[in-house]
Amino acid sequence: MPSFDVINYGLRPSKSIQRQLVFNGIHSLQALMKLDMPLYVGLGSVSFTDFSLAHRLLQIRDMVSIESKKIGYRRAKFNSPYATIKVLYGVTEKVLPELLDCSEAINRPWILWLDYDCEFCEDVRDDIRLIIERVPENSIVLFTFNGNEMRYGRKPAQRPERLQTLFEDVVPDSLSANACKKGKIEVNLANFAINFMKATAANMSRPGGFVPAFNILYSDSASMITVGGVLPNNSLVDTVNDFLQSCAWECCPSEPIIAPNLTVKEALALQSLLPNGAGISKNDVRNLGFDLEEEHVRVYEKYYREYPTYAQVLI
Amino acid sequence: MNNQKLDSANASPTKEFFVNMITKDISLEDSILDLIDNSIDAAKHSSGSQPMTLGSQIDLSQYTISIKLSSNSFIIVDNCGGMTLDNAIKHAFSFGRKPGIEPEQYGIGVYGIGMKRAAFKLGRDITVRSTYVEGNRIRQSFKVPIDVEEWLKSKIQSWDFDIVEAEDMEENGVEIQVRNLTSAAKNALANPAFVQNLRRMLARDYSLYLNKGLNLIVNGERISGLHLEFAGSEEFVPMRISYNGLQNGDEIFVEMIGGMAAPPPDSTEPDEKQNSDKRFGWYIACNGRIVLAADKTEVSGWGTTNWPQWHRQYAGFMGIVLFSAYNTAALPLTTTKRSVDLTSDVYKTAQVKMRDLTKEWINYTNERKQALDAAKEKEARAKAIPIQQVENRESIALPKLPAVKPVERPANVQYSVPVKRMKRLAGELGNINLPYREVGLRSFEYTYEDLVGEE
Ligand SMILES: Nc1ncnc2c1ncn2[C@@H]1O[C@H](COP(=O)(O)OP(=O)(O)O)[C@@H](O)[C@H]1O
Ligand SMILES: [Mg+2]
Repeated sequence: MPSFDVINYGLRPSKSIQRQLVFNGIHSLQALMKLDMPLYVGLGSVSFTDFSLAHRLLQIRDMVSIESKKIGYRRAKFNSPYATIKVLYGVTEKVLPELLDCSEAINRPWILWLDYDCEFCEDVRDDIRLIIERVPENSIVLFTFNGNEMRYGRKPAQRPERLQTLFEDVVPDSLSANACKKGKIEVNLANFAINFMKATAANMSRPGGFVPAFNILYSDSASMITVGGVLPNNSLVDTVNDFLQSCAWECCPSEPIIAPNLTVKEALALQSLLPNGAGISKNDVRNLGFDLEEEHVRVYEKYYREYPTYAQVLI
Repeated sequence: MNNQKLDSANASPTKEFFVNMITKDISLEDSILDLIDNSIDAAKHSSGSQPMTLGSQIDLSQYTISIKLSSNSFIIVDNCGGMTLDNAIKHAFSFGRKPGIEPEQYGIGVYGIGMKRAAFKLGRDITVRSTYVEGNRIRQSFKVPIDVEEWLKSKIQSWDFDIVEAEDMEENGVEIQVRNLTSAAKNALANPAFVQNLRRMLARDYSLYLNKGLNLIVNGERISGLHLEFAGSEEFVPMRISYNGLQNGDEIFVEMIGGMAAPPPDSTEPDEKQNSDKRFGWYIACNGRIVLAADKTEVSGWGTTNWPQWHRQYAGFMGIVLFSAYNTAALPLTTTKRSVDLTSDVYKTAQVKMRDLTKEWINYTNERKQALDAAKEKEARAKAIPIQQVENRESIALPKLPAVKPVERPANVQYSVPVKRMKRLAGELGNINLPYREVGLRSFEYTYEDLVGEE
C-alpha cells in the first residue's frame, strides 16, 4: 500500500462521507415522518462520532450506546460527550432484548444504527431479526458490516452455502460462486441483507412492513456495507415510499464510495473550484499544482460537501 | 315413520361461501400452482395429451408460462393454446365440474375449482383473457372481468360472469390478471422469501415437466427443474418397478423408484444445519405433478403400523411414486394437490411396497452404525444416477457390511464455544461450512498430532 493512503488512515474519508449521507437521509425522514422524541441507539465506542451528529444535526436528546468490553465500557462512559447518553454494558444480543422490554424506550420511535466491525454473521443476523420484529413503529434502522469476501469462505465455491446459511430463504438456490467473488459479493450481500429485513417483516405481517432506504457500499481499506430502512406504521407507508422514490434521495448510490485520502490543503484547493456545473477535470487539478487519479476527482466532486474537513483537529 | 314431505331445506351454496370459505383451506402457493396446473393441462392438450411417465418423450419446449408478482398485482400468462369461448360459457367458470364434462386426458385438473379459488384467494379485481383458434382457423379472443365485491353485492340470483370482447394476445393462450390484492397476497407477493420459496417449490413440484422443456418464468427469471438423483454403485442399486393398478375400474400406471440419494449422516444428533435432511423421504406425483415432496409423515406411511417414524438416522433415502391415469379423477389427488387421498385403493396398495422398501433402508442404517467406516467408504464410491436412468429391478440392493469387530471404548466429547469462533476456526481449517462436529474432530486430531504424536 503506498504511504499516502496510510497517512490519513484515521480519517477514513469514505466512512465519513457515508456517515454524512446517512445522517442527511435520516434528517429528511425525521422531518417527513415528524418523529416525536426519537431514541438513538448505537455502538458509540469511545469516539461517539455518530452520537455527536445525532445530537447536533438531528437534535436527539436521549441516546443509548452499547458496549461489550469491560475496559471499553469504562472508557466509553468517560468519553461520552453528552449527559443524555446512557452507556449499557453487554453484547448486543443481550442488551437489545432488555432495551426492547423497557417501557421508556419503546413508547417512541428509534433511530438505530449498529455499526459492526465484523462481517454479517449469525449474531448480526439474529440482532437484525430481533430489531425488525420488535422495534417500535416509525423507527429508522441501519446496520453496517464488513463485506470482505474472505470472511464468507476462503474459496468462492464455499460462499454460496455460507450465504444461504446466513440469509436463509432469500438467497436464490442458483447463486453461483462467481457471484461471490470480490467486486460482486458486496452488492449481493447488501441485497440479501435488505431482502432478509423485508422478509422478516413480511413473515410476521408487521403492519407497514419494512421499507428499504439505505444501501451504501464504501471502502477505505476494508469493504463495508451499510443497509437499512424505515418501519413505518400503516398510515405513513405511502408517504415514505413516495419520498424515497423521489430523485433527491441519496442513500442508495449506484457506485461504491471510495474516496481519496486528501491532505487538508488539497481538499480546500479542490473545494474552491466547486460547485461547478461542468465538473472539474484532471487538468483543473494540475492547474492547482498537484495531481489525482481520475476516479478520485469524480468521487470528490460528487461528495465534496460530505468530505471530512476536520483533519486539522487530528494534527 | 312415513316419509311424507313437509317442506325442503335450502342447501344451495352462497357466493360468500365460495369467495371466503373455500379459499381458507388452501395456501397462496398452492393456489398459484393451481393456475400453473391449468396452463400445463392446456399445453399437454395442445401437444396431444400423452401420459407423463418417466419414459415419456413429450417435448414441451415451445410452451411458456410466465408469472409476475408484485405488491399490486398478480399476472400469469401462457402460450399453451387458450380456452375456447364455448369452454368458458359451459365449463371453465362454473364452480365444480358439471357432470358430463370430462377432465383433460392425463391431466392434473379435476375438481373444477382451481382457477376460481386461486383468483379469489389472490384478489378482488380479476380479468381472465383468452386467445385461441378453433376449427375455422380464425384467432378469437374474449375476456371475463370479475369485480368480486360487485358480484357478491349483486342481488340477482345468477352466479354468471359476463364475457366480453378482447384484443388478441400475441400468442394463443390465457392471461389472468389479479389486482386489488387481498392483504395476505399483497404481503406475500412483496416478500422476497415468499418469492424464493415459491421458486423452490415450482422447481421441485414441476420438475418432471421442466425437465421436458417446459418454460416456467417467475418475475423474468426462468426456473430450472430440480434433478432428482440417486447414488448408485455395484453395491448400491435403487429399486425400480412399475405395474398397472385399478381404481374403480380405471387403470392407473404406477412407477416406483427408491434408494440412496446421499450417504446418511455420521451422527444422529441434531446438528446446526437446519433442514439438512430436507430433500429426503417420499415423493408422490400424479400425472407428472409432484403433490407430496420429501414426505416424512404418516401420509407416506412413516409412523404407521409396521413402519417406524422418521428419524434423522434415515436421512439419505429417497423414494418416488408416479401415478399416471387417462382419467384424472382416478388418481389419489386431493383438491389442493398438496397431499394424497389416503383412502385411495391404488395408493394403499402402493404403500405396502413403499413400506417394504423403506424398511430395507432402515435396516441398512442400523447395521451401518456398527461398521461406520466400511459403510462410509462404500457410500463414497456411489455416483449420481438421474432418476430416468435407474434400471428396472424388483428390489433395492444395499451392501453387506463386514461383521462387527470389537471397537475401542469411545470417549464422547461435547463442548460449547461461540459460533463466531467456531466459524473462524472452520474457515482456517479450509471450509467455513464444515459441520461443528467435524471442526471438533479435526481440532482434536490436530492437537493430538502436535502434542502426542505417533501412536
Ligand atoms: N391457462 C388455461 N388454458 C386453457 N384453459 C384453461 C386455462 N385455465 C383454465 N382453463 C379452463 O378452465 C377450466 C377450469 O379450471 P379450474 O377451475 O382450475 O378447474 P379444473 O382444472 O379442475 O378443470 C379448465 O378445465 C380449463 O378448461
Ligand atoms: Mg385446475
